[in-house]
Amino acid sequence: MAKCKHRHPPEAPRITAANAPSATVPLRFITAGILALVLAGGWLVAKPELLTRYHYGPDAVAFAHLVLLGFAASVVMGVLYQFTPVALDARLHSERIARWQWWLHLAGVAGMVWMFRRWDMWQVGQFGLVFGLGVALFAWNMARTLAHVPRWTPVAFGVASSVGWLLVTVLAGLFLACTKLWPWLSPFAPLAQMHAHAHLGVLGSFILLTVAVSYRLVPMFLISSVQDERRAWWSLILLNLGTGAAAVTIALESRWKLAALLIVLAGLALHAIELHAILRTRMRAMIDCGMQSFLTGIALLAPAAGSALALCWEGLLPAAAVARAENVYAVLGIFGVLWFVLIGMLGKILPFFVWFHRYSGDIGRTKVPQLAEMYSARLQEIGRWSHLAGVVCGVAAAATDSMPLATAAAGLLAVTIAAFTFNAARIFSHLRHPASQTGEPPLAGIPLSP
Amino acid sequence: MNPAGSIWNTLREIVDPELGCNIVDLGLIRSMTQSGTTVRVEMTLTSPGCPLGSALESAVESALLGLPGVEAVEVRLVFEPPWSIAEVSPAARAQLGIPVAMPSAGSATTLTRSAAS
Repeated sequence: MAKCKHRHPPEAPRITAANAPSATVPLRFITAGILALVLAGGWLVAKPELLTRYHYGPDAVAFAHLVLLGFAASVVMGVLYQFTPVALDARLHSERIARWQWWLHLAGVAGMVWMFRRWDMWQVGQFGLVFGLGVALFAWNMARTLAHVPRWTPVAFGVASSVGWLLVTVLAGLFLACTKLWPWLSPFAPLAQMHAHAHLGVLGSFILLTVAVSYRLVPMFLISSVQDERRAWWSLILLNLGTGAAAVTIALESRWKLAALLIVLAGLALHAIELHAILRTRMRAMIDCGMQSFLTGIALLAPAAGSALALCWEGLLPAAAVARAENVYAVLGIFGVLWFVLIGMLGKILPFFVWFHRYSGDIGRTKVPQLAEMYSARLQEIGRWSHLAGVVCGVAAAATDSMPLATAAAGLLAVTIAAFTFNAARIFSHLRHPASQTGEPPLAGIPLSP
Repeated sequence: MNPAGSIWNTLREIVDPELGCNIVDLGLIRSMTQSGTTVRVEMTLTSPGCPLGSALESAVESALLGLPGVEAVEVRLVFEPPWSIAEVSPAARAQLGIPVAMPSAGSATTLTRSAAS
């Protein structure tokens, strides 16, 4: 692995992480995700009743797709295009396919959200097909990349399963759209199949991926290692089994959904134990704000799982309380777990992507900024606390059907989005206005420390 | 021939952008030898799949090629033995908040580095 270089290379080379695609591939998806998040924040401020109103209606379904596909799926796809080749040591199969997919993704998501608002299921299906074609390209690209992974680790298995569940979720969504047009197609109750579709996406695709990447990213950022690989494997196997079982039992409105949930909980419990072990053996004492947000999102899985348990346990909740409990569950899942995990991880990953794109060729030649100097940690902290307060208010609003609380929650979440977006803009500004001191002499000319 | 001390000091100017510590104090440089105008560096990473690896490797080459008297740089990435906390200097430990109770330096590679600097 030795490399020999001779003196005076002409100019700063463009370095990429081993196997990484061009930074423009992940960054275009992440930018789209951030724009969707800003739109979602504005929408929530304009209509805070989204937090309390029953979720089976045009606005709520459109909003959910903006958040889950526009924000979450965009960010996840962007991160996976970088993470899979770099962390799993396999070159991305095709950047060109990824670029084509981006256009299909944008058109599909924008059209679906718009048509859900109009409740035009024919058009939802059309745009869903465009989005689905993009997901098929994504899955193909990932599958071809994963086929060259040198060692099949829990992380690789988790990424592969998550992509698989995403594909299943899209197929289930397209089937749902068809059943709106031709109801005789479906043997399932409309609400039940919608809930099954949502669980396939959130649990199978998003939470499973969060668990998988946490086994790589948490040790990497905190300088630690997975303590028990068998435990990591089992957590992912159980989550896969639990996702399949949950989708089937929810669609069939079977009382066995409690058993499915218990399988999921067992997987999450193993993940929590492993994560605790990783944190306990970490060498880096300080946990920065981005990582704290990521871990907060994972911790919020506990109350989300508690509300799922209450909803699954037949007869535990009075019928009148079920709709509110479902809203609490959704608020915890979307604004709690999902937003915290994604905003936290973006806080770590986004500076890294931009730094690599802009400064990797300058390091060793001139002074370059550190990752922590590319954003405001104070703003990140403000965003984290307003986020936590927003989730608490949102849960209280959903539980009590209170509009004042819903308005407060929307305002607090908007502060979080503003803080995050401002920081993201500051990070992106390095692409146009780099902070490396190119006018300085090379490092070797800098006065040396004693 | 360049004094070894100035080579080590040049390497100390390269800072890991995530951890905020220089790569020598982090224990990423396993050894450095100079023969004539060629410098050979053996370095490691905190983990084999570290995404910053290629940037740090290139940084070492660029920084050393900027030194007078250095015509060629050979960087070799090694992962055996794996990087451990024992290779981190006290200054970097303090910066990273690593507890003092963790094992301290004393390996042959560290001695090489100490002797050279």
